[in-house]
Amino acid sequence: MGAVRLSGVRKLYGAIEVIKGIDLTVEAGELVVFVGPSGCGKSTLLRMIAGLEDVDYGAVEIAGKDVTEAPPAQRGVAMVFQNYALYPHMTAYDNLAYGLRRAGMGRDAVDQRVQETAALLQITELLPRKPKAMSGGQRQRVAIGRAIVRKPEVFLFDEPLSNLDAALRVEMRSQIARLHQELRATMIFVTHDQVEAMTLADRIVVLNAGRVEQIGTPREVYHNPANLFVAGFIGSPAMNLLPATLGPDGVALASGPVLGGRSGAGEAVTLGVRPDRLTLAPADGAHLSGEARLIEHLGDETILHLRLPGDRALTIKLPGDVALRIGDRVHARIDMDGACLFGADGRSL
Amino acid sequence: MSERRKATSGSRAGMLAYHALMLAISAVFLLPFYWMTVSAFKTNAEIFSDPVTWLPDPIRWENITALLSRDDFPFVQQFLNSVFYAGSVAVLVCMSCSLAAYSFGCLRWRGRNLVFALTVCALLMPTIVTFLPVYLAWSKLGLTGTYWPLITPFLFGDAFFIFMLRQFFMGVPRELMDAARLDGASEFRIWWQIVLPQVRTPLIIVGLFATVYTWNEFFLPLIYLQDRQAFPLSVGLFTFQSQRAVEWSVSMMGAFLTALPMVLLFLFTQRLFRRGLSSTGLK
Repeated sequence: MGAVRLSGVRKLYGAIEVIKGIDLTVEAGELVVFVGPSGCGKSTLLRMIAGLEDVDYGAVEIAGKDVTEAPPAQRGVAMVFQNYALYPHMTAYDNLAYGLRRAGMGRDAVDQRVQETAALLQITELLPRKPKAMSGGQRQRVAIGRAIVRKPEVFLFDEPLSNLDAALRVEMRSQIARLHQELRATMIFVTHDQVEAMTLADRIVVLNAGRVEQIGTPREVYHNPANLFVAGFIGSPAMNLLPATLGPDGVALASGPVLGGRSGAGEAVTLGVRPDRLTLAPADGAHLSGEARLIEHLGDETILHLRLPGDRALTIKLPGDVALRIGDRVHARIDMDGACLFGADGRSL
Repeated sequence: MSERRKATSGSRAGMLAYHALMLAISAVFLLPFYWMTVSAFKTNAEIFSDPVTWLPDPIRWENITALLSRDDFPFVQQFLNSVFYAGSVAVLVCMSCSLAAYSFGCLRWRGRNLVFALTVCALLMPTIVTFLPVYLAWSKLGLTGTYWPLITPFLFGDAFFIFMLRQFFMGVPRELMDAARLDGASEFRIWWQIVLPQVRTPLIIVGLFATVYTWNEFFLPLIYLQDRQAFPLSVGLFTFQSQRAVEWSVSMMGAFLTALPMVLLFLFTQRLFRRGLSSTGLK
C-alpha cells in the first residue's frame, strides 16, 4: 500500500480557482477523510488524485512515484463512486473482472481473483446478477468489490454511502472500517457526513473553498478546532460561538459574566463552547439566559435551542428528557473545561 | 347532478367530434396508399373502371410475376441495391454519428461547443447548395456511376443524427466512463463497450431513421447513377413509370413492393419511431 503526497496542488476552471494550493500527505495504510461543505472542492481533489481531473499546478505522488501526468489506470488507484457506477449491461462478475481483463490477466487468474474478492465481501451469490437486479446495498458492495479486486495502492471513496438509507449506511460504514483493518489499505474517503468522518477516519482533512482548514485526528479536530470555520463545521449540533473579551480576571462574555480562564488586556475574542458543555442552572448562578425557541426530544438526549438577548442563538445538549416548553425562560452555565478561544482573525488562541 | 351529467355528455360529444376529425385526416393520408395497394392487384381496366371498384376482383397475384419478369425493370436487382444502400448508410451513420456524439456529449475538449455549433449549422445548409461542387469533386475522382458518392459522406456523420444522439449521450452517467478509465479502458473502448450499450435504443432509432430516409432518397441516386442495374428502387420505379406510363397495374405493384419493406419496418418498430420523433422535437 502506498502513500499519497500532494504538493502545491491547484485546479482552475477558467479564471475560477477551485483548489487553492493544497499540500497533504496521506501515509501508507492510513484512512483519511475529506470533509467540508458542498462546493468546497473535496470531490475535485479526490478526482485529481485519481487522474480524472487535470492538475493545473503542483504534483501528485502515489507510492513514491510522480503520477501528475499519468492516466488514471496507471496510478494504482481504485475508486468507489457515489452512484456505484456499475456497468449496467454487465453482471457483477463482469463488473469485477473488467479492470483485470483490461490489465491483461488470464482467464483463470481473473476468475480466482474475482471469487476471492466476492468471498471477502460475501457477494458470491450476486456474481451472476446485473446491477438492476440488486438492492442499493448490494450494488455498493459490488462497487467496493470492483475496487478491491484490482489490489490498488490507494482506495478512493467519493461519498459512497450517501445514496443508502440510514440503517444500511451504518452497516456499510462498519464494513468499510473492517476492510480497512483487514487490508491495511491506504484509503481516502470523501463525505459531508460528520459521523462518517469521525467514526472512520485516522485523520480528517477539513476543506473550505478549495483550502485545507485543518488536518488532524477526529479528536483533535473536534476538541481543538484550528479556526472558527472548523469549530462551526465539525460537531452536530455545531459549537456555540459567543463574543467575549480577555480581561484581567479571565474570559468575560459580552453580556457581562466573567468565566475565568485565560486572562488578557481586553482583546476581543470568540468563545467556542460545545452544546454538551452547557448545563441548566438557577438564575443566580447562570452565565447566560434566554428563551427556549425549539426543543428536540431525541429520547436519550434533548437539544435545546435558545434565543439570547441581541437575537443570538445558543444550543444546549442535555442528557435524557427535559421537561421544558417553548417560550420558557432558561438559564445556563458554561463549563470552561473544553471551551475554545478564537482571536479576532478567527484562529484558535 | 344534472349539471354534472350535462358536462359528461358534453365531453363525450367533444371526444366523438375529435375522433371523427382525426379519422377524416387519417383517411386523407391513407387513401393514396390504399389506392396504390388495391391497384397493384387489379388490371389496368379495373383501375380506371367507372364506377370505381374499391377492391380487386379477382386479386391479380400474377401482377407480381409480371413485375419480377420484366427486363426493363430489374426489380430484384434494384431491391438489393436499395437494401445495400440503406443498410450501408444506416450502419455508417450509427458508427460515425455515435463517435461524434460521444465526443461532443461525453468528452471535454477546448472548442467543443464551437465545433458542435458549426456542425449543427450544417443542418441549415440545403443539399442543393453544395451539390454542384461536390458533384464536380466526385466526377474528377471518376466515381460517378458508383455508390461511393452516395455512401462515403456518411463516414463523416450527419448533423441531424449527431445532434439527436448527443442528447442521449449526455444522459449517460459520467461516473460510468470514469470507472472505465480507472479500469484501464481506452476512449475508443469506453465508447464501444460502455457507452454504446447504454444508448442502444436511440442508436436503433437513428438506424431506422437513416434506413427510411435512404430507402426513399431520390435526388442523389438520380444524379450520380446512370445504369438501370445500379439504380435503387426509388429511382428505378420513377424511370419505369416515366417510360411505361400506361402499365399502371405493374407500376402500382412496383410501388407497393417498394413501400412494403418500410411499412413492415414501421409496424414492427413504431414504438421506437415515436420515441425518436418525440426526442428530436419533431412531434
